[in-house]
Amino acid sequence: MAKVIFGAWDNAVIDNRRKKVFEIEEYPEFSDFDEFNPGNPIKAFFGGHGFFIFEKNVNLLDAALQYMERVARESCGKCTPCRVGTQIIKSKLELLTRGDGTPEMLDEIASIAEHVHTTSLCGLGQTATVALLEMIRYFRETLEEEIAGATPVVRQHCTTYVSAPCIEACPSKVDVPRYIDYIKDGKFTHSLGVILQKYPMAATCGRVCVRFCEMACRRTQVDEAVGIKVLKRFVADHEQDVTHDWFSSYMIPEKKDPDLKVAVVGTGPAGIAAAYHLLLKGYPVDVYEAKSVPGGMAATGIPEYRLPNDVLNKEISIIETMGGQIFYNRRMGRDFTVKGLFSNGYKAIFLAIGTHKGKMIRAAGEDPHLKGYDFGVDFLLRINHDYIDKGIPMKLGKKMVVVGGGNVAMDCVRSALRMGVKEVHLVYRRSQNEMPADHEEVEAAEKEGVIFHFLTHPTRIVSEEGTIKAVELVKMSLGDPDESGRRSVTPVDGSEFVLDTDHVIPAIGQKVELGFITPDEDGVAFNSWGTIKVKNDSLMTTRKGVFAGGDCVTGPATLVQAMAQGEQGARCIDDYLTFGRVRFFPKDRMSRLVADVQPMIDSGVNIPVKHEYRVKVRELDPDVRKQIFEEVEKPISVEEAYHEAQRCMRCYRVYSVITEQ
Amino acid sequence: MIGSINGKKVEFQDNETILSVAKRTGHFIPTLCEMADINHAPGTCRVCLVDMKRKNDPAHHIVTSCTTPMEAGMAVLTRTPKVREMQRLQVELLLADHNQDCASCIRHGNCELQDVAQFVGLQQTRYHYPHFYLQRSRDTSSPSVVRDMSKCIRCFRCVNVCREIQGVDALVVTEKGLSTQISVRDHLPLGSSDCVGCGQCILVCPVGALAEKDDIEEAMDYLYDPDMVTVFQFAPAIRIALGEEFNLPAGTNVEGKIITALKKLGADVVLDTNFTADLVIMEESSELLQRVKSSAPLPMFTSCCPAWISYMEKNYPEMKEHVSTTKSPQQCFGAIAKTYLAEKMEIDACRMRVISIMPCTAKKGEAKRDEFIKDERPEVDVVLTTREFARLLKREGLNPAELAPSAFDNHWMGDYSGAAVIFGTTGGVMEAAIRTVHKMVTDKELSQVEFTAVRGLENIREAAVDLGEGIGVVKLAVAHTLKAAGQLMARIKSGEASYHFVEVMACPGGCLGGGGQPRSKHAYQAAREERRQGLYAIDKEAPVRQSHNNPLIRKLYTDYLEKPLGHKSHRLLHTGYTDRKRLVRHTMKEIWQEIEERT
Ligand SMILES: Cc1cc2nc3c(=O)[nH]c(=O)nc-3n(C[C@H](O)[C@H](O)[C@H](O)COP(=O)(O)OP(=O)(O)OC[C@H]3O[C@@H](n4cnc5c(N)ncnc54)[C@H](O)[C@@H]3O)c2cc1C
Ligand code: SF4
Ligand code: SF4
Ligand code: SF4
Ligand code: SF4
Ligand code: SF4
Repeated sequence: MAKVIFGAWDNAVIDNRRKKVFEIEEYPEFSDFDEFNPGNPIKAFFGGHGFFIFEKNVNLLDAALQYMERVARESCGKCTPCRVGTQIIKSKLELLTRGDGTPEMLDEIASIAEHVHTTSLCGLGQTATVALLEMIRYFRETLEEEIAGATPVVRQHCTTYVSAPCIEACPSKVDVPRYIDYIKDGKFTHSLGVILQKYPMAATCGRVCVRFCEMACRRTQVDEAVGIKVLKRFVADHEQDVTHDWFSSYMIPEKKDPDLKVAVVGTGPAGIAAAYHLLLKGYPVDVYEAKSVPGGMAATGIPEYRLPNDVLNKEISIIETMGGQIFYNRRMGRDFTVKGLFSNGYKAIFLAIGTHKGKMIRAAGEDPHLKGYDFGVDFLLRINHDYIDKGIPMKLGKKMVVVGGGNVAMDCVRSALRMGVKEVHLVYRRSQNEMPADHEEVEAAEKEGVIFHFLTHPTRIVSEEGTIKAVELVKMSLGDPDESGRRSVTPVDGSEFVLDTDHVIPAIGQKVELGFITPDEDGVAFNSWGTIKVKNDSLMTTRKGVFAGGDCVTGPATLVQAMAQGEQGARCIDDYLTFGRVRFFPKDRMSRLVADVQPMIDSGVNIPVKHEYRVKVRELDPDVRKQIFEEVEKPISVEEAYHEAQRCMRCYRVYSVITEQ
Repeated sequence: MIGSINGKKVEFQDNETILSVAKRTGHFIPTLCEMADINHAPGTCRVCLVDMKRKNDPAHHIVTSCTTPMEAGMAVLTRTPKVREMQRLQVELLLADHNQDCASCIRHGNCELQDVAQFVGLQQTRYHYPHFYLQRSRDTSSPSVVRDMSKCIRCFRCVNVCREIQGVDALVVTEKGLSTQISVRDHLPLGSSDCVGCGQCILVCPVGALAEKDDIEEAMDYLYDPDMVTVFQFAPAIRIALGEEFNLPAGTNVEGKIITALKKLGADVVLDTNFTADLVIMEESSELLQRVKSSAPLPMFTSCCPAWISYMEKNYPEMKEHVSTTKSPQQCFGAIAKTYLAEKMEIDACRMRVISIMPCTAKKGEAKRDEFIKDERPEVDVVLTTREFARLLKREGLNPAELAPSAFDNHWMGDYSGAAVIFGTTGGVMEAAIRTVHKMVTDKELSQVEFTAVRGLENIREAAVDLGEGIGVVKLAVAHTLKAAGQLMARIKSGEASYHFVEVMACPGGCLGGGGQPRSKHAYQAAREERRQGLYAIDKEAPVRQSHNNPLIRKLYTDYLEKPLGHKSHRLLHTGYTDRKRLVRHTMKEIWQEIEERT
């Protein structure tokens, strides 16, 4: 466990310089700070609140200079103190490390550093000089010794990292403040460019993402989270005409050997993101899809009124514009195998087949073959695929009961209304508070007239001659939260009641559809909970050269998590094909260190900020929209986008580590 | 809610900023980037620091007053030693990044940065790093606006005005750190960009970073060349604004003093653009009636404002057939002066130089349009803005405030109607046209000369006038600011609104708020109301109030042009427009490269 020799964090000083190393107390917070990567000890850590020194021979001046260099490079240049002050501090530190300075310079540096800290406009400048100030304030004699000592100073190994809470929360690590900045700057094309660095499905993500970033947004402490998602949709929609041109003219910097073919299985978000990044890296990529349409759950699960198909298809077509090929109606396990792919010359395979098999409720009389019984995902697939895409009519009864409390359930009930089902019931075993579905989705469903039954669960499905007639339900009561914080539920005796219905739609989860692989023959193994087993940092399955990502690895998750794994998969495949192994990725490591220090940070915004409320997204009227599949949320205007972008407080922080190598 | 500033009790609304409360209650706080009139507080200069203590927190915090809301029980101190010292350091840092050659700067003596440096008591500047500012660009490609980013303090007021007031959105922010600057969209030189040359950005720039293209030297060349005959024209909005540059109250009519000053400068012929404004009304009104009667495209848009013409050509070229073909008063003046006037006064047109004084920077670009240059001879040779004219007078030691007025004395072009004067305000062209159209159609003057339905300051106004049998009700609309013009255009194109006649002026308030008018510090269009009243007052007092009743206009038609839209009119007074829509093709590679350079 790393031992802090000295340091300071938010002006709390640690000073063990007089102690012998073995006498220094170990702090559990630093359990992860021993090594940066195997065999490479972390000697010092710097952040926006302070610094920790883990080894005696660290040169503070050089560490401060390297940190400041990054700050000065990151300064957006809009406000005076940070733009100019950080440059002046940087040049004074340069003088000191070169041996051309005097100890008095520390006073001047401190006064400018204090000024940058107190008067900068955004988080970057406000935190940029904190560590330096603490160094001068509490460890001045060490600095003076360094100034007096041997110079010029040898540059130490330093890794810097810049991030913000929203970026850290985003599975794909989209540089949110940067794309918002570009909107402020009036450059929508660049803004979209930042998003496209991560994945091609910007307009899609701007519509359906579950917004990890907004949950982490610091602006919530002032008024409301920045409309990160709506801004993403804005730039993607605003620039939609240029997207295609961009990629058709995109010259892949260096093409890889045409032998290094990669196969991607599945065209869901994970597969598409992987193919995209592999193509950008210059690999020839073929994508195999079991269905006749691309997009995975984004196409067949997420309904048209939330994500119009042409929006999704346009973004998927980027793959083909860049030279990737998609082969439809090719199901792995039926039409081809892992082995076959390898013998056809593919050097690596990325499996992204999602979770498509619905889970049963386990109620008496339940049988997937009953007329009127459909898994949520299959029900949505039929609507999206057969009814909307192909125009095949669907006959539905008057009443429907959907079981579940997640977004899939919400999509089912709202779609059912649009299909003309008169009475749509939603049954969920816990209360509204526990619903995993997006609060906005629940509200929208309520507005459209869905009848909710909370704390209710089906016990029996009543059918006659293979056709569903009714469902028997029981009331549930909530117990105390267990260790994981989730509250248990128990049926209330004697509270059973019967609801007549033509349909029962279980929407309580999905699992990987087996049969695409023969574990023994293909060497790809599963976890005990039924997902594909991979190594965490490489996404490689138990079979060499076969990687996997997305829902089929994580279990049913979200679009952006799938895309993040797609990108990671592409990076790992690139490493595998180039070096034969997956390399250490410093950014991920920095991200983990940043997460480690978060508990030490008082996240409050302690100076009042003027309130500016979040843009209201206009919606189609509930009475109109519940009858059609037209997109519910309307785009925001350019003016609204500018205003919303101004709300971002740019919570960038700079971090650095000094390491042995 | 109640709090205190410098120990005095102050009342305020929830979410009101400290700066706003301080201003309201008479506590001065120095500012640079903020501009309340355009709702602008980007918080970038960081000069407006104050000491703030919250109700239940003993700590004092230094905060910027423009972005921090006042809270109940908050105690603010604006002048503590710490605050003064930090403000001083802030300005010192600002100057380290500023090309501070005041003596040759256009804003010398009238600069908000100089003011602030004085206010904070700056006595030394310790940091001199020329490479901090020399890497930024100077753009002289536009005939209207010069941008010197080495003097920019990143207040972003120009971006705000171009984006939020004009809706042109020509300016973007590029680079980062010290090289951060306001640039022109797609890396274009300003002269070939979306910029329409309206100069509104100049009016808000606190320093010398933005200015009109200076054409004083060329004007002086002609004035001091004995072989040249200089013919001056000045626009309606000059006479009620020039006085501000010489400490006269805004709105004061200095027409007579301008005539005297020009004569003293050595001008050979001093005339008024008002004369050709009357002429424009004759042509444009006839054109409107012709369009209404025939099946020509409607609505017809006015064409006097070159920034509007440029905006239309760049954004709505498909509507160019809707714009009146009548040239602007400035160009009609040049065309008539170099033909009719030259003939009557027996001047060799080749030796004649027409110099106009305009409230407008876009007029400089207009004079340089190809279609207004015949055989390498422009109709208008030099365009000076109000500000340049004031500088010219100062350079020649003339102060109009001290001069006795004189009157126009030209027998051919030296008269104007009240209708021409109100060209200087939004709604004025429309009102002048209605006065004349009514007479043309009904053979009767309007019962009430003033057609007030089109007056006002809302950005889009609508009215209707009944022209009786044959024509019926004519629907009118007036828009000022290009953002309003764009909104109106969208409504017209979608069929949501339909009109016969639409007036568009690019600048807020019309020409009186033009980009070449005197600047006001910390305020946008501060003298608008006085200037407007000034113009309406001149109209009210004018002996002749309709263009068609200007005796010299009648004489011009009888002696020379014959009739509106006649053969000669067509040759001299009408023009056409060009599709100037810009197609941008970015490649992802370029965009990513730029993003990476910034990462
Ligand atoms: C109804 C519904 C609504 C949702 N709403 C949201 C939301 O609002 N926001 C959000 O972030 N997430 C949402 N999700 C989750 C999100 O859609 C998924 O997490 C995401 O699509 C997973 O991507 P994936 O690429 O891993 O798998 P999938 O999207 O499932 O794609 C897998 C692809 O592989 C193909 N495939 C499967 N087996 C084979 C085989 N043997 N051979 C060849 N191809 C095969 C499939 O046909 C499919 O195209 C929703 C999911 C559902 C079901
Ligand atoms: S990064 Fe923040 S603190 Fe630095 S110049 Fe930009 S706005 Fe100011
Ligand atoms: S305010 Fe901006 S930078 Fe800060 S967390 Fe929110 S989106 Fe990210
Ligand atoms: S902008 Fe102001 S401070 Fe700067 S050089 Fe000009 S007059 Fe001097
Ligand atoms: S002159 Fe007008 S259009 Fe051009 S940049 Fe300035 S405000 Fe924008
Ligand atoms: S050019 Fe002038 S108005 Fe524009 S940001 Fe710079 S200082 Fe401000």
